[in-house]
This record gives sequence, C-alpha cells and structure tokens, in this order.
Amino acid sequence: MKQFRSETLLEQLQSDVRRQMAIVERLRADDPGQLLAQPATGKWSVVQVLEHLNSYDGYYLPAIETSFSANKPARIYFSPGWLGHYFTQLMLPKENGQLKSRMKSPKNHRPSSHPDVVPVLSVFLQNQRRLLALLEEAKTKDLGVIRIPISLTKLVKLKLGDIFCFLIAHQQRHFLQIEHTLEALQGVRGKYPATPPVM
Amino acid sequence: MVSNQLKEFTENIFRLPEAEWQAFAAIWQPFSCRRKTMLTAPGETERYLYFVLEGLQRSYYIGENGEEATIVFTYPPSFSGVADSFLTQTPSLYFFETLTASNFLRTTYVQLDDLMNRYPAIQKMILKATAAALKGVLQRQIELQCFSAEEKFKTLLRRSPHVLQIIPHKYLASYLGIDPATFSKLLGTVRLS
Repeated sequence: MKQFRSETLLEQLQSDVRRQMAIVERLRADDPGQLLAQPATGKWSVVQVLEHLNSYDGYYLPAIETSFSANKPARIYFSPGWLGHYFTQLMLPKENGQLKSRMKSPKNHRPSSHPDVVPVLSVFLQNQRRLLALLEEAKTKDLGVIRIPISLTKLVKLKLGDIFCFLIAHQQRHFLQIEHTLEALQGVRGKYPATPPVM
Repeated sequence: MVSNQLKEFTENIFRLPEAEWQAFAAIWQPFSCRRKTMLTAPGETERYLYFVLEGLQRSYYIGENGEEATIVFTYPPSFSGVADSFLTQTPSLYFFETLTASNFLRTTYVQLDDLMNRYPAIQKMILKATAAALKGVLQRQIELQCFSAEEKFKTLLRRSPHVLQIIPHKYLASYLGIDPATFSKLLGTVRLS
C-alpha cells in the first residue's frame, strides 16, 4: 500500500477543503432559484447536495474531535488501511473527471425536500473551517492508530487518516455533481470547476 | 541550507549582523506544492510566513455578492502569505493560492515572534519590510480610487512590465479592478512612452 508523508497529506486535504470553500463562496452570489432547482425529477438541487454534505460533517466532525482525546503522537508516514483506501477510491472521480459509479445515499443522509439556501451554505462554510482546524490539529496525532467508527455502522472503524481522505473525497465527488447540476440548469460549462482548470 | 536568495533579499531591506542572520536563517523550512494549491482560506489565521523561491501566487477576496478582487501577486524573490493575518494573528479575510507549482521557504509566527523578542535587529528588519509593504498598499489605494482604467494599466506596466509575461491577463484585470475585455483593449491600444 502506498505511503504518504502525514503532514503533506494533511496539507493537501486542507487545500482541497479550501478550494471547495471558494466554490461555495461564489455560489452565495448565485440566484437562489438556481441553487434550489432540481435538474430533473428525483435529482438533487445544489442546496440539497450541500445539505447532504452537512449531514456527514454533522457525524464525522464531532467523532474526529472525540478521537483526539487519545494521546497518540504523530508519525512521519501514514499508510491507508485496505478498506479505507477502497472507500476513498470509490468516491474519487476518474482521471477524466467523471464519476465512477452511481450510488444511493443512506436514508439518514438524504436531504430535505425544501432546504433553506442561506443557512445550508453558511453551515457548510462553518463546518469547513472546523474541518480545517481538525486537519491542522491532526498534524500532532497518529493518523494510523487512532480509529473512528463509520457513519453506517459502529462495527467498522477506519484509521483517522482514512476518515479524512474518505470524507474529503466524498465532498469532491459531490462538488463534481454540483458542477454538472449547474451546467444542466444554466447550459454553461466550466463556471464552477470542482477540479482546477489547466492554466 | 537556506538559500542565498533569502540572504540577498533581506540584506536589501536591512543588513543583519552575522549572529542575527544565523538565528534568522535557522527558522526556515523548505516547502513545495503543486499549482492551484489553496494555502489559506477566509476565517483561518495565517500560520506561515513564506519566502518565494519559485512560482506565482495570488491572494483574492470573494464578496457576499460574488464580486472578486485580486489583492496581491507574489513571485521570487519576495515574502508571501496573508501578511496582515500573519502579523496580527487574526483571521484572514481572503484566499491565498498558488497559480503555478511553487517552491518556498516558510517559517511560523511562533518562531519569528520569538526571534523578534530576542533580537532588536530582526524586529527592525521586519518593521522595515512591513513599512515598505504598507507604502506599496497605500500607493495602490490611491491608484484604485483615483486612476482611470488606462492610467492604472499604464502605471502597472511602467512599474512591473514583466508581469504581462508571467501573470494570466484575467488575473491582472482583476488586480486592477477593470473588465478583462477592457484590459485586452488597453493592451492593444496603449503606448507606453
């Protein structure tokens, strides 16, 4: 299994989170009607996608915080576990930027049918600031020894490093969905690139 | 370990005695990252002072209504990072990102603050660097408030003609607070004399 320098991995994840924050900062200026519009029946609006992400942060951020009480000092390298690596890879977009497979969200993470734009966006940004602080604090923790139960079942615990990778890859996946949703609604391409454009 | 670039750069600001230079040189760590790495976001307090060895970076603000303003570019040799947040240790109001793959030296607030407490000469050097930056910012404030698009364009190209080669024009337009279309038009018509 590939090894990562723990600090480099955490800083790369921080960069990904900050980039997602910049996209949401720009969304705040968009027409709320567009953010609430479903591109097709049964498909989520942009705000529903963000509410879905908020529900994951609602579980994982406190879980990560609790795990930090363990006194396990940092190690220079981190190796993902096989299951954690599998989950992260499942979430990440393909090389060409397309999603790998369609997935169905668990019931407790489905968004409401009529979410409010302003609170959903500001809760998302608040959560990301908290996530950034946790990633920073994690520089002093052992990413491979601390374990956190996943939201589906308490029976499966993943390494702290894998939880961060999975959580942020999951967000990356949904930012791609947001990009596609807005393209479908506005007929414009590349206005909200989830992955940075080539300069 | 620490580059001559940093030594030359700081000597131009203020020449540190040898012992102070040794102490100052010892707090820097190399740091590299890919293009489009977001190094600081609004709400975060800047932890690092960077010294740019290679690459191009920009700081930009996104307003509540989506207006976007490029605040500053940095490229070698220069200090970089969200300077106001770093110096005041209060949350940043804007984003700081790399536009190209970048090599830096970087240090933390704790380390620099400790040196400033111990060595008046280092404090003086940082004060001089901050003063020069403040002068630049206030000059730019005048240009942004009083100059026409054409005057802003001319002033920028007189002061830093090389930026046309290294910085994408859409970001230069955002830096001057003018429309990208206006920027291209000026590029085609304005003669610098």
